[in-house]
Amino acid sequence: MTGLPEAGFVGLSAALVAVGLFGILTRRNFVLLLIAIEIAMNAAILNFVYFAAFAPTPGEGLAGQAAAVVLVGFAATEVAVGLAIVLALNRAKGTINVAEATELRL
Amino acid sequence: MVLGLLIGIGEGFSPGRTTNVQILWLHLPPSAQFPNGFSLVMGTLVDPLSALVLMVVTVVGFLVLLYSIGYMHQDRGLARYYAELSLFLASMSALVVANNLLEFFLFWELVGVCSYFLIGFYYEKPSAASAAKEAFLVTRVGDVMFLLGIFLYFYLYAAAGPAGLGGWAANGFVFVHNGQPFLAGATSSSTLATVAGLMILGGAAGKSAQFPLHVWLPDAMEGPTTVSALIHAATMVAAGVYLLAVTSVFLGFTSFDQLVIVAIGGFTAFFAATMAVVHPDIKRVIAYSTISQLGYMVLAVGAGFTAVGLYHLFTHAFFKALLFLAAGSVIHAVGTQDLFKMGGLRRSMRLTSVAFAVGGLALAGIPPFAGFWSKDDILASVYSQLGAHPLYWPFFLLAFAAVFLTAYYIFRAWFLAFSGSGPRDPSLPHAHEGPWTMQVPLVVLSVLAAGAGMFAFLPGFANLLERGPGIPPHFGTTEILLSGASLALAVGGIALAWALWGNGRVYALPASSPAQAVRRLLLERYYFKAAYDWIGARGVNTVARAADFFDVYVIDGVVHGFEGAFGGLSDRLRRIQSGVVSDYASYLVAGLIGVFALLLLIAPFLLARVGGG
Repeated sequence: MTGLPEAGFVGLSAALVAVGLFGILTRRNFVLLLIAIEIAMNAAILNFVYFAAFAPTPGEGLAGQAAAVVLVGFAATEVAVGLAIVLALNRAKGTINVAEATELRL
Repeated sequence: MVLGLLIGIGEGFSPGRTTNVQILWLHLPPSAQFPNGFSLVMGTLVDPLSALVLMVVTVVGFLVLLYSIGYMHQDRGLARYYAELSLFLASMSALVVANNLLEFFLFWELVGVCSYFLIGFYYEKPSAASAAKEAFLVTRVGDVMFLLGIFLYFYLYAAAGPAGLGGWAANGFVFVHNGQPFLAGATSSSTLATVAGLMILGGAAGKSAQFPLHVWLPDAMEGPTTVSALIHAATMVAAGVYLLAVTSVFLGFTSFDQLVIVAIGGFTAFFAATMAVVHPDIKRVIAYSTISQLGYMVLAVGAGFTAVGLYHLFTHAFFKALLFLAAGSVIHAVGTQDLFKMGGLRRSMRLTSVAFAVGGLALAGIPPFAGFWSKDDILASVYSQLGAHPLYWPFFLLAFAAVFLTAYYIFRAWFLAFSGSGPRDPSLPHAHEGPWTMQVPLVVLSVLAAGAGMFAFLPGFANLLERGPGIPPHFGTTEILLSGASLALAVGGIALAWALWGNGRVYALPASSPAQAVRRLLLERYYFKAAYDWIGARGVNTVARAADFFDVYVIDGVVHGFEGAFGGLSDRLRRIQSGVVSDYASYLVAGLIGVFALLLLIAPFLLARVGGG
């Protein structure tokens, strides 16, 4: 697994985080917001997979890959919860614009 | 009363006996500072010194209680009156037999508060209420000094090392522990010992109304006359003298202290007598006289003649109580205290007029009445000490001159009230004697006032006076000359009073005479009261205003400043909570970036440390 371009992978991860953060900060549509969160999260998963390749023993490398699989599961769960909130929000306010969901303000 | 007399007689016939009973009140375990631990005890100490004063307290107390039945019979607050008077008598007796300084101070405060209650007995009257307050506050100045004096003596014992302090503190300041006056030793010249003595003197001056804390006693006459007789003539005000006596016997004064005490005593004796000369109020004349006589006692104690001072305390208690009760009898009969409205009472109140005359003769020092013996003892004793310090001279002369004034003012009062053909103010009710409860005390006190001076010749009584230093000097030629001189002064005073006021005459000063200014000065009490009021009103007010300013603008300012700052801050911070998810997200990101930036900044240092470790 050697010979992978390190700077390229780390740079890819950083780019994904940046894109995700940009989406999180700019989107008002809740669904798009969720997608942006997923993009940022995938950067973390990618890092796990990538750095697992550099593990001194294959066993330890496996731990990184396992973490990646678990995180994929988490991401799915999170999206499920997020979409449930979207539905509830839509039902309650007739919109999925997050800027209008301000009831919890002091 | 019977108990008090028995104790007195018992003490008299067993010379030098002291009985000390005490219980442990509080004990602190030994420490580095107090190697023997520290104890507080409550106890009674009966020795000749306290037995003498105890007799005075119980006898006069009983007579006043009896007299009050008649004098106060139509008063609404009778139950309150007797309750307060009983509390006073109990605490006064306890004060006299207290066996340590702290216990002494405790009961000292108790008699003070009783005095406050009783001066303000007619509390509906504004003047009575303010007089009570004044008495309480002025004596409080003295009390604080007294307490400081106790602390200082305690400190002195601490400085004396384990032997001194260990003994005294472990025994709880008990007087009887040290047979010798403490300051007779090496520390007698130390500044602290002097200050401690002066503090004790301050306490005594407050209680005994000595200059400059004398202002409260004349105003204390707002209370019932019986109270004036018991508290402000015979007993409580004498507690200050008793304190000085106890301190000089058990602790000792330095020579500078003695000089100051002599100065205050001698000066007060004269100073108060001058104010009595012009006053129109029968009770206040006697009140000034009390201050003056207390000055004599202080003078004697200061010159080192404790026994002589207490001897005068003893005789003074009887004739002054007699004067007050006789005055009370007059007030009871005519309903006014103004001497210039009275007159001719000799016809309708024969017993009272005789009693007042006996008291007056005793006060003036005409033999064989009581005051002659004790007052001349004082003058002779101080005279024998004149060599001790050149400054004793002026105060001795002042005290000597006061003899003349004393005789004059008391007989001026007598002539104004009792001589002549009838009252100057015809609207006065027809006077008559009080009931037997008022007459019996007058008779008993008259006998005592006439005879108490000769008690010193009784074999048992002489023993009572032999505690501590200051046995009266034996009578020699000098003393007889001295007595003759003071007797001449006293007779001269009486003669002058008769010439000016006798037979119902009224002597009026020419309106334009310079003497009018003097009279005015005396009536205004040398403007001391006005000055104190001014200090009270201006001085205390200024301090209070400054404190108020500080409170409002500095303390409250700081508090309100904090409040405003945090209020404003929270108002700003509140706006952050917009409720918009994106905003929160951006704060989150900003925070994240901040943390990363910080890590980047400090990373070199962290790495350096790891590398170094």
